This record gives sequence, C-alpha cells and structure tokens, in this order.
Amino acid sequence: MSAYSYLAEVLAEKYDVDEDKIQPEATLADLGLDSLMVVEFLFDVEDEFDIEVPDERAEFETLNEAAALIDELIKIKRD
Amino acid sequence: MGRRVFISGLGLVVPHGEDSTSVFDRVYQGDSAIQLVRSGTAEFGSDVPLAVTEFRPESRIPKTQQLFMARASQMAVVAAANALESSGLAQGHGVKQSGIYMGCGLGGAEVLQEGYRTYFVRQSRRGRPSTVPMIMASGPASHISLSFGIQGPAHTYSIACASSTVAIGEAFRAIRDGYLDSALSGGAEAMLNDGSIAAWERLGVLAKSHKSGPETSSRPFDLERTGFVLGEGAVLLILEAEQTLQKRGVEPIAEIIGYGTSSDAFSLTEPAIVGQEAAMRLALKDADIEPEEIHYINAHATGTSSGDPVEIQAIKSVFGDHASSLALSSTKSVHGHLVGASGALEVAITAMALQRGRIPPTATLTNPDPQCDLDCVPVHGREAPGLKTAVSNSFAFGGSNATLVLRKT
Repeated sequence: MSAYSYLAEVLAEKYDVDEDKIQPEATLADLGLDSLMVVEFLFDVEDEFDIEVPDERAEFETLNEAAALIDELIKIKRD
Repeated sequence: MGRRVFISGLGLVVPHGEDSTSVFDRVYQGDSAIQLVRSGTAEFGSDVPLAVTEFRPESRIPKTQQLFMARASQMAVVAAANALESSGLAQGHGVKQSGIYMGCGLGGAEVLQEGYRTYFVRQSRRGRPSTVPMIMASGPASHISLSFGIQGPAHTYSIACASSTVAIGEAFRAIRDGYLDSALSGGAEAMLNDGSIAAWERLGVLAKSHKSGPETSSRPFDLERTGFVLGEGAVLLILEAEQTLQKRGVEPIAEIIGYGTSSDAFSLTEPAIVGQEAAMRLALKDADIEPEEIHYINAHATGTSSGDPVEIQAIKSVFGDHASSLALSSTKSVHGHLVGASGALEVAITAMALQRGRIPPTATLTNPDPQCDLDCVPVHGREAPGLKTAVSNSFAFGGSNATLVLRKT
C-alpha cells in the first residue's frame, strides 16, 4: 500500500475524518487533528511501516508532503 | 450563614445501569449487580467477583474523542451528560460558569497497564504518545470540561475510597460560600484491568465468591464477609445554589446540609474509630443539627473483617443511645465498591432514598456479626415515610474520612 492511501485510510477510519475532505493538499489541521492527535497519527504511521520519522523531518504541511516523506523514509530503510 | 445547596440532577453509569430510578429500585430490592468474572486470560488469570459496568461509549462520544479517553473519562462524560439532562441545566442556564469537582483514585489504569506491557513485555520504548494525558487521575474532570464547554474550576480529589465524597463536599462548600452557583460533582473509577486486580488480590482485601452465589459475595456486617467486591463506574451530581434553582423553577432531589472531614493519622490501611467519629461529628456540627435528627446512615462498610465493626463503634460513639434507633445499611452489598466513584454513588442513592422515603437494605446480611449489633437493615428495604435526614460515610485507605449530611426537600 502506498503511504498516501494508508494515510487516507487511517484518517477516515480511526480519526473519523469525512472522506471528501481527505485531499492531497489538505493539512492535518484542516482535517481537525490537534497536536496530540498528530503525534498519535505519526505513531500509527511509524508502526505500520516500521520507520521512524526524525523530529526535524516532521514539519510537513499537507497530506501529499507527509506521504512523500514517508515514501522516502521507506525507501531509505529498504536500501 | 451561607447559601443553601441542592442536588438537582443525577447522572449514573454504574453496575446497575444508567437509569437512576431503576438503579435505585434494584438497590432497594436487593438485586445484586455483582458477578463472577474471569480476570486476565484462561491460563494467567483469576475468577473474581466484580461489579462490572456494561458500558458502550460508541453512540455517546465521538470516535476521535474516545481514542484519547481512558475508560474512567468516557464513563464520566456520559454520566455528566446524563446528569445535565436530568437537571435541565444544559439548556442555557449558566453551565459554562459551573465548576467540576471530581473524585478519582487511579485514572486511566488500563492505559497505564498497556504502557507497561509495551515497555516490559514488548521491550519497547515506543508506547502510545498519548499515554500520559490518558492516565492522569484528573482526566475525567478535564474531559467533562472539554465536552460541555465548562470554564469554571475543574478539580480532582484523589483520596482513595473517599475521593468523590470529598469532591462533593468541596463543591458544596464552594457553592454555599458563594464562589459558584452550580457544579458537576462526583467521581469516576475504572480499574478492573487484570494488572490492577492482581495488585488488589495481593492486599488480601477482595471478597471470595460466596457459597450462596457470587452475586452475594459482598457481605458487609455479616459473619461470613471476606472482603469487598471491586466495581467500576461514574456518578455525577448537579449541585446548585437555592437562588439558581428557584430561578429555573426545578424541583431538587435533596439538599446537602453538612460536610465533615478528618484524618486518622494512624495507619495506611487500618481504619480508626476516632478519625471516623471526628468526620461524623464535624458534619453534624456543619449541618447545625443534633445526632438524634439522623434517621439513616449509608455506611462506608465495605465488608472487610476489620473495617465494618470499627464504623459501628464510631457510629455508637457519635450517636450514643440514638445509634440503636437509627437505620444504617451498606448498599455496597449489591453495587460493590467503586473506590473513587463509590461515595458519589452512595450519596446519589441516599438522596433518592430521602426523595422516595425508602431505606435500601444491606441485601446480603443474613448472619449478622455480633460486633455489628445495630439496625443494619438486613435483606429487605424498608418504607420510611418519615425519613428526613441522612448521612453518607466514606472512609479511605490512608486514613482520610468524609461524611455528608443530606436532607429531604
């Protein structure tokens, strides 16, 4: 599963975000996640892909940027 | 002389259910909510009599909020919704300025257990990021504030078994003294996770399943008592100043007229007569009434061998000759010991007893201990149309004692 479709699935199912709102350019704040929820959300993602998002890289804005970062971290781990 | 303070709403999420009328009726009829439960797993566990609360937050709390709430907080928010609804306070009557005074012993016990499981069993430092805000004992109060937009003080009293009695007493004082017009006050506790139960088992205070059936395992004042039955749940009362209540034109359930607290300074786990006496005497003095005016006591009596006779001695000492003419019962016989929520449940039951003129029984008392030789209302509840004034006692581990005095309205 690509990072983006996983993010979209978790947001819809676990965080009850309206699927119409889950768009590549949406930010997590747009989707109603507060800072604690964002940390928990990243924890889900890290667990799913067995990666760690370094603190200095957790500065993404949109879902697209988050997915790109995760895809990059997955690739680094594979290589 | 301060303002008069009334109970104008009740919200329950307890082993007997959520509907306060049916909870009272079942307690009055001696219908036990206690059952034998397998705690832990088939291989690594134990069969324990417990008072479990059937609770499904699904339709009551938004899914994303539930994710960040321990069970005690979820129960507290639903109990608060029930209490606000029963009082009608939510409909634009200053709920925003209310206070929240909660009792809670352990907080998110099951979340703490999960955190330790990750650390010790999975040998991982990567537990859930929200573990800390979920295990706080103050979580239930915070979530009530968040859920209903209440911006007054949101305080939590963590005083073991006396937590919610003290919370109600402190809310009573804040309203009486004019600091607040209304408060949501009570307690929440949910520690029936296996790690907590194993710890309680080791203390040797939990009741064994009784031969007449696990539902009769909580036996305060009885010769065959073996300890207390742990329960879980949340209970919220709406407390209001007389002026606010009159403005709204709402009939109260009962009035709170006195509150007393003391500490034994004696033992971490053993009760002491003098400390309990002091709490009761202070509460009666606070209510400005004579001991002879008390008709009923909802006793703390949990069903431990040492605790129940100590409370009987303390009552004899405070009430003198009148002790043998008043009725006292331990409703823990059917709802178990909800620890941080227990006092609030017992205050709610006492308030409903006054409202209805009905004294609930010590339902399992079939073979009274001669050391407990007062009228402990064995087995059957009692019609008491003249019931006017009652006391509710809570005596905690650590030696903290709290007594509230309630009056029929």
